[in-house]
Amino acid sequence: MADKLLKKENLGKLIESVLGKGGRFIAPSTDARQVVFKAVAKAEDLASDYILARNSYKEFLFPQTEVVAEFTVGKDGVDLRGTDVNPKDTVIFGSRPCEAASLSALRAVFTWDFIDEFYTKREDKTVVLTVACTKGDEACFCTTVGLSPETKDGSDVYLKETESGDYIIEAVTDKGKAFVEKHAAVFEDGSATAKPLFIPAKIEGIDLDKIKERLAKTENYADPVWGELTKKCIGCGACTFVCPTCHCFDITDEGTAFEGERRKNWDSCQYENFTLHASGHNPRDFQHKRWRNRFMCKFNYYPNKFSSKGCVGCGRCIRVCPVRLDITEVMEAMSK
Amino acid sequence: MENTLRQKAKELLESGEVKVVIGYRWNRTRTRTTPVFITKPEDTDQLIFNPLCVNNLSLYLTRKFKDIQALGKPAIVAKGCDIKNIVVLITEAQVKREDVFIIGMVCNGMVYKQELWKGELTPQIMPTKCHNCDVRNPHVADFVIGERSTFTPPEKPEGMVFDKIKALDSKDPSERWAFWINEFSRCIKCYACRQVCSLCFCERCITEKNMPQWIETSAHPRGNLSWNLTRAMHLVGRCTFCGECERACPVNIPLNLINQKMIQVVGEAFDFKSGYDEKVHPPMIVFSPDDKENFIK
Amino acid sequence: MNNIYLPNLVTIEDIYEEAPDVRSFRLVFKDQKLRDSFEFKAGQFGLYSAFGLGESTFCIASSPTRKGYIQCTFRKTGRVTGGLANLSIGDTMGFRGPYGNSFPVDEWKGKDIVFIAGGIGLPPVRSVIWNVLDRREDFGKVTVVYGAKTVADLVYKNELQHWEERNDVTLVQTVDPGGETPDWKGKIGFVPTVLEEAAPGANNAVAVTCGPPIMIKFVLNTLLKLGFNENSVYTTLENKMKCGVGKCGRCNVGDIYVCKEGPVYTAAEIKKMYNDF
Repeated sequence: MADKLLKKENLGKLIESVLGKGGRFIAPSTDARQVVFKAVAKAEDLASDYILARNSYKEFLFPQTEVVAEFTVGKDGVDLRGTDVNPKDTVIFGSRPCEAASLSALRAVFTWDFIDEFYTKREDKTVVLTVACTKGDEACFCTTVGLSPETKDGSDVYLKETESGDYIIEAVTDKGKAFVEKHAAVFEDGSATAKPLFIPAKIEGIDLDKIKERLAKTENYADPVWGELTKKCIGCGACTFVCPTCHCFDITDEGTAFEGERRKNWDSCQYENFTLHASGHNPRDFQHKRWRNRFMCKFNYYPNKFSSKGCVGCGRCIRVCPVRLDITEVMEAMSK
Repeated sequence: MENTLRQKAKELLESGEVKVVIGYRWNRTRTRTTPVFITKPEDTDQLIFNPLCVNNLSLYLTRKFKDIQALGKPAIVAKGCDIKNIVVLITEAQVKREDVFIIGMVCNGMVYKQELWKGELTPQIMPTKCHNCDVRNPHVADFVIGERSTFTPPEKPEGMVFDKIKALDSKDPSERWAFWINEFSRCIKCYACRQVCSLCFCERCITEKNMPQWIETSAHPRGNLSWNLTRAMHLVGRCTFCGECERACPVNIPLNLINQKMIQVVGEAFDFKSGYDEKVHPPMIVFSPDDKENFIK
Repeated sequence: MNNIYLPNLVTIEDIYEEAPDVRSFRLVFKDQKLRDSFEFKAGQFGLYSAFGLGESTFCIASSPTRKGYIQCTFRKTGRVTGGLANLSIGDTMGFRGPYGNSFPVDEWKGKDIVFIAGGIGLPPVRSVIWNVLDRREDFGKVTVVYGAKTVADLVYKNELQHWEERNDVTLVQTVDPGGETPDWKGKIGFVPTVLEEAAPGANNAVAVTCGPPIMIKFVLNTLLKLGFNENSVYTTLENKMKCGVGKCGRCNVGDIYVCKEGPVYTAAEIKKMYNDF
């Protein structure tokens, strides 16, 4: 059977085709000496050689800062105007399988009971084109959390690189099929051999079931080992900002007493102020408690509450941590 | 060098002179270093020292780290540049000299970021601070480890940071402004630059004060600019150019340019360099009749 | 688009000074339709906006049996409550809600009810008290044990007097030692001690408590000592919240999202939670 191919020389045409239909094309691109997901306009903007973008593309579905309402306070009361989101069709190109798998976690949190349309409307209009990994580094641990470069969860179109730099494409979801049809002129039939995938070795000594079991016991919550493992954490929250499943935010008003806007801003459970009560009481008064919360969120709350993966093993938090607090070292300790 | 370090740490813990040794260890795969807090003499074998030990551990001497302080008197493994920060902490009454045992490490340079390491320390992967280092032999320490370095820094400081500052200084103000606005536009307000800085020791940072909200929390141009300017101003005359903020920044904002520029301004105005003498207070917290006051025009 | 973060506009119809820095607002929706249709249950909470300053979370302190308005009571402590305190009668503010679960008042029919509150912990309990008093014949004995640091810090002073005068409510008031005035007629002592002395019967009874965490801790001990069943003791958890709808990620106590699965829990449920208070 013939494969469907995206020739590398047609990548530019695909971008043109997407932009021409009013959409935006998000892909890994070099900015300030590192590869990040950003909106690109031509094929040359794409990073040619990368493992994983430094940031997660969640910022295109759940922006770092967004206005949820605007208000004007006058003599006769308050004029309040809620924001209407009308997102553009968005193509995420060059997602990795780990990150694609994180979308179901974000969706779960933003839709249980109350539906956050700021997220869902954007996600509904997003097509994820995953390029399977042919490279990795020592921070990659998808196989340790039950995923792999062959995982197609969350991908609308799954692409494999060929030796000649083209892509073999496979539309996974209806959204993906519709996308391939919509831009049919860009794709070709043909056959090619995919490059071998990079499959990171599963980290020995980590057992997700054991972690789950251990975390489920409330008596383990006060285990001094949390303090031992995470004492070096400096509370910068960089891990939460690059994490594809971290979703915490703050709601804050900006402006004057007369007019302004209400914003939804990324926040981090690693900050002292995050849970600080007005009374001065703080349920998470030490950094290790805040770190424990993040770990519990990934390996207990998400799986139990939303039946979804809280951690997809992308390794971004490990790469970005200024003190190299490696989550897999904690996973290892928690597997005992 | 590592053997001496481990031996010394062991002695200090065994004798009870210190309760914890703040140092570096390998990660699981022995590819990266990470801070470690050793409290038992038998664990001192974990201690290492090599060009990947970039972290400035003086951060862990500050009051933010309540659980580390609770352990008791610390010994700290410190390179000359790290010692500069300890010196500032002492001059600003955050740490008493007698309350910390400084294990000074003779250092021949570090990598700028650990991921650059390919098994060999080359000038290309060293930060500007290492190329101009005048504290390769620790200047304030209780015990020095390593063979005395004979390195002499260049007479006029040189390196990428200095070149970029020169290039920026030669631009007109609107170009400079555009440059910084563009750099700050990437800021994601994670405050990693603050958290990693041992001199950002305020128990309540101005960003956390919301009555009034001095600095807007949103990562938009206004909020990003006010945060980055405030951070810079609060470090004037104090920053030692250790470079931790730039290393920690997840979006690569060239904070070293700002820091070094401030150091130059302070040097010209007050003939002062922070981090060398624990008995001299930084210029911003002392009044001297000799102050130039040339900012009054 | 359905914007879950968009508040409704409410007008401050009346303001009551309850105690130093503590005041109550009586609020009505600007939208007449909403004013008529709005319903909530005792124990639910809302997010109140001072525009330009932000939102703050408090319980609805009025009873669901009183239609047409809601009341909230807050202490001026931070940016938002400071802003709310600057508003006057006739001013507009925002309200989102009701959110969270509620006290299962209907399940308590025929039972004795003991309310125990400390300081600013009375407002959430007040909603239930009035809910019960407005259907007085459905319940057995009603006892209210309420204490504050000082006499001045007691909130709802008029209502306390009213409950005192009613013969179908037993009210025990107390202030911490040193907080009394020369003409103070109530008890002097901490709430748990006073509760133990008052010794309300535990048989066929439920208890509802709210107050500072340390008070709740000791009150729970006292209630168990008095013979109350952990499943019949209710409290309401207060945690910092920003969204109120299970998204922003900060109110969780372990795996429990207080804003959605709470804020009302039995002592038995609290015992099973992660110690994340």
